Amino acid sequence: MNTNNNVYTVIYTTLIVVVVAALLAFVSQSLKDRQDANEKAETISQMLASAQYGSKADLDKLSNKEKLAKYSEEIEKAFVIDVDGNVLRELEGIDVYSPKALKRQNYNIKGGANKTGEPELPVFIFKNGRTVVPIYGAGLWGPIWGYISFNADEATIGGAYFDHESETAGLGARIKDDPSFQAEFVGEKPDFSSANVFDIVKGGAPKDASGASEVDNKIDAISGATMTSQGLDAAIDTWLAAYAKYFLNAAPAQHECCGEECEGECEGEEECEHHKAMEE
Amino acid sequence: MNAKLKETILNPIFKGNPITVLVLGICSSLAVTVTMKGALVMALSVIVVCGISSLILSLLRNTIPGRVRIIVQLVVVAMMVILVDQVLKSFEATYAIDKQLSVYIGLIITNCIVMGRIEAFALGNKPGASFLDGVANGAGYGMILLIVAFFRELLGSGTLFGIDILNRFGYVPNNLVILPPFALILLGCIVWVQRSIQKDLQEK
Repeated sequence: MNTNNNVYTVIYTTLIVVVVAALLAFVSQSLKDRQDANEKAETISQMLASAQYGSKADLDKLSNKEKLAKYSEEIEKAFVIDVDGNVLRELEGIDVYSPKALKRQNYNIKGGANKTGEPELPVFIFKNGRTVVPIYGAGLWGPIWGYISFNADEATIGGAYFDHESETAGLGARIKDDPSFQAEFVGEKPDFSSANVFDIVKGGAPKDASGASEVDNKIDAISGATMTSQGLDAAIDTWLAAYAKYFLNAAPAQHECCGEECEGECEGEEECEHHKAMEE
Repeated sequence: MNAKLKETILNPIFKGNPITVLVLGICSSLAVTVTMKGALVMALSVIVVCGISSLILSLLRNTIPGRVRIIVQLVVVAMMVILVDQVLKSFEATYAIDKQLSVYIGLIITNCIVMGRIEAFALGNKPGASFLDGVANGAGYGMILLIVAFFRELLGSGTLFGIDILNRFGYVPNNLVILPPFALILLGCIVWVQRSIQKDLQEK
């Protein structure tokens, strides 16, 4: 048989590609449920890590079942809001947003040709008072995503965990692998009233006297990972801006003069009665 | 067992080791040898990919059109790698390791050992021998991976397979060992040891 004949070559390559494609499609379909279950458990452990229920390494020691159980136990309520902060629907049971679902919402937030509807933004409130919201965006090589938790005041970041598909190991991958980078977020206060909600800056974020990052909306970027840092910055800005109205409404009103939380009824604009009282 | 078969199996393990003698697959051996667990999963994956791709291509060897044989090899190897990746993702025990190895499982496709053995051996030999050759080369690669990972995890984290070995004696893990350059230094040492045992490898 002449295997170098043109017709034979075309038929042979077509056949082998079709067979391989069919096999891979079949395997991918039959393993999908198992993979989704693993991904769901992973998403849950990332959310729990951002809400400070232990480090990611410790949470990874739990089995899938234990992760799901811990989530059911610790979740206070979960719901979906629109960009105006109105609750659209409750999330019942263990209904978390996997990176795939976040990708869809990312298109909806950003608009453009891939938009399929109005953004539906998930909010997860845990029993320790922390509110977890996701972020999603583009790194250098592929998607990056993560979960940021806010303390009970709905203004201060309580923790963060980020993951990526294919950032460079040792550089961009440090958004996931470097706990000290994630720890930088703790205690920072995003500025929900501006479009530039959060900044990951080159050359050093402002430091306070003790050398810790100042309480503002800036943290240090990762050296050698400019594109990943910028991608993460953009992802956080895009998503937290979409949540801005929710957090601005949720945070307790403050006296304009001193920034202290109001007690009881207070519009935040009125003259500080208690301030005057203190002066007297 | 006849001598030729014995040679097929034993040669890649020591005398013709893909990493230390042929110097193939260096990139992944620097990347995945931080922990024993990662190295073991990577080694098994390469053994499976190498063995079964060699078997399939050896079965097809008389039908493959000569002009597109590299493409056909690539399709089969890529299929095997995707299958391994999918299976690793499907089990709870291996999901975390698959995430840790991230792109390196996918990059088995570009591992020269796989294509090299198919081109050099599987296309000219019977399926049984080709399968053994693939497995043996994967094992030779995996053996070096495990030796490197043993030192890197022991000295870099003070553990083996995640179990504390040195830390309980107050050992302070050495961060240099975790970084890829140290794997290259270790590989160099292994090549040195092998060449001093096996004098015929030394250049005049």
